[in-house]
Amino acid sequence: MAKREEYIDKEKKEKGKKLFGIFPAQYPREILWAMNVLPVEIWDPPLEVIHANAHLQPYICSVVRLGLELILQGKCEGLDGFLFPHTCDSIQNLSSIVSDYLGVKKPCYFFYHPKSPYQDSSRVYYLEQLKGLVARLEKQLGPLDSSQLKHRVQQGQEVARVLKQLYDLRVQGELEASNADFYRVVRRGEYLSPDDFLPLLEEFLAAAKGSAQGGPAVIMSGVLPNPKEILTLLDELGVRIAHDDLLNCSRRLLVPPSRADDPFEALTESYFAMPPCTTKDSSVSERVDDLLAKVEQSNAKGVIFYMVKFCEPELFDVPQLTGELRKRGVATLLIDCELNQNLSGQLATRVEAFFEMIS
Amino acid sequence: MKYFLGIDVGALSTNAVILDVRREIVGYSIVQTGANSTEAAEETLEKALVMANIDRAKITSTVATGYGRISVPFAEKKVTEISCHALGAYYLYPDTGTVIDIGGQDSKVIRVGDGGKVLDFTMNDKCAAGTGRFLEVMAAKLRVSLDELGDLSLQASQEVQISSVCTVFAESEVVSLVAQNHPTEEIIRGLHRSIVNRIWSMVKMLGIRGAVTMSGGVAKNRGVVSLLEERLEQPIHVHTEPQIVGALGAALLALRLAQTAT
Repeated sequence: MAKREEYIDKEKKEKGKKLFGIFPAQYPREILWAMNVLPVEIWDPPLEVIHANAHLQPYICSVVRLGLELILQGKCEGLDGFLFPHTCDSIQNLSSIVSDYLGVKKPCYFFYHPKSPYQDSSRVYYLEQLKGLVARLEKQLGPLDSSQLKHRVQQGQEVARVLKQLYDLRVQGELEASNADFYRVVRRGEYLSPDDFLPLLEEFLAAAKGSAQGGPAVIMSGVLPNPKEILTLLDELGVRIAHDDLLNCSRRLLVPPSRADDPFEALTESYFAMPPCTTKDSSVSERVDDLLAKVEQSNAKGVIFYMVKFCEPELFDVPQLTGELRKRGVATLLIDCELNQNLSGQLATRVEAFFEMIS
Repeated sequence: MKYFLGIDVGALSTNAVILDVRREIVGYSIVQTGANSTEAAEETLEKALVMANIDRAKITSTVATGYGRISVPFAEKKVTEISCHALGAYYLYPDTGTVIDIGGQDSKVIRVGDGGKVLDFTMNDKCAAGTGRFLEVMAAKLRVSLDELGDLSLQASQEVQISSVCTVFAESEVVSLVAQNHPTEEIIRGLHRSIVNRIWSMVKMLGIRGAVTMSGGVAKNRGVVSLLEERLEQPIHVHTEPQIVGALGAALLALRLAQTAT
């Protein structure tokens, strides 16, 4: 399959798709698919930060820093718009910098999802947000074809179903794939159209079925599996990430299927059924229960909290999460680092020591 | 007679311990790591062999640890210093439940369970604050040797507060304090206090379990140990050669490795 840049370029030139840069994390991708838009998620572009530092304080996370750098280096020229979900204060402020201060001449859309604790009005609010987003997009892209939306919602559910199968096999130790291969494939959904992502997942599922390596299993929690060297190191040590609680993976991808006939209702139902997440302000107890269930299902020996430095929503929860898990005899390891950084000897030592501890 | 070797290649020193089958230390050595870890490992081994009065051929198995563990080509196994310090400390003091290791470039707090198994750990490895390197920089600035720091701080009747936790900023602060004619021993005691506060926050994260054993070069500094004992409100075990604790743990693992193989 073509590389990311080539693929995106081809989708635009050959299929006439509009390209939108999407900042993390939760957004109704099905609406964009239905409006002939290819959402291209911006999580961790491999760039040296040169210009973004002038606009951001030193304590802003590298997801935001790299995303802004991507724009400032002129690498988003080919995009037709941006979407900023209200994920955290830093992404909210990034949207302000991009749309209000930089004078970027591209449409910027904002998407606000309700935070917990949820009430009846939360569903109404979410539904309004979905329809409001469609109304704004229609001004740029033309009317939304409701049958297309229905088709794309079904396709999104199909993607989630196959992903769930993959995760289930991983939990049971019946997926031969390495950590690095598994997340390489899962993360391709950040830019592939579902028309291409679904066959890729099915092909991977068929090819990778088999016994996993025999080492200890762990759960990985955090934002995203980057730097990927951590995955390689765990592979070398024989440690299997049996499940994850990663914002850009299981927390938003393992969407329970909805039976609602109306696509907007289906999207709403799915949003509220997603696993607990810091971006939804889920309570610590919900997150502890979710992690413990994953530990139990996969017989994991510990949880690695793999944090992006300065990611406040994630880091706020960590002391309580680790405290609760330790009380229940689950080993934990906390690592925080910048995205795309090489794995230092010290960091590798911590991971290896954790492996020795749980082996 | 069979012998078992542990080598700990650290940031500042490279240490070796040779054990016999009765788990007795028959030789050890501490050398500066310098610019070549492999050469340092060879040098420390040769010195330990001389002390043990044995030939190299009698070494049955070797385990390497420390940041330079991958640079010891003759080691059959590499194990992290966290596991090795826990095991070494437990061997020396079987009531050990907590190990505080302040090395050249990082500091660690390890919770230790039965048999010297690691239960949990935390590390400060992102900056030089709270490490041996911090004291090295400050000693140079104050023109005293590292060995003198401990005794000088114990002579201080008061201490100066060091507000910076960063080594670079603390160095500037020390320059200002010297210019203000603060007695050297009071500045040193303040520096020791800042290290202890740093370690204390790590200890608080894990909680103290059982007796505390300190390892690493900074454990030779009586001033730091004394302030840490005061903060922990309990005595701390310190071996006469705290720098070899990691190598000792590695040697114990080498013995275990040989036993498993047979």
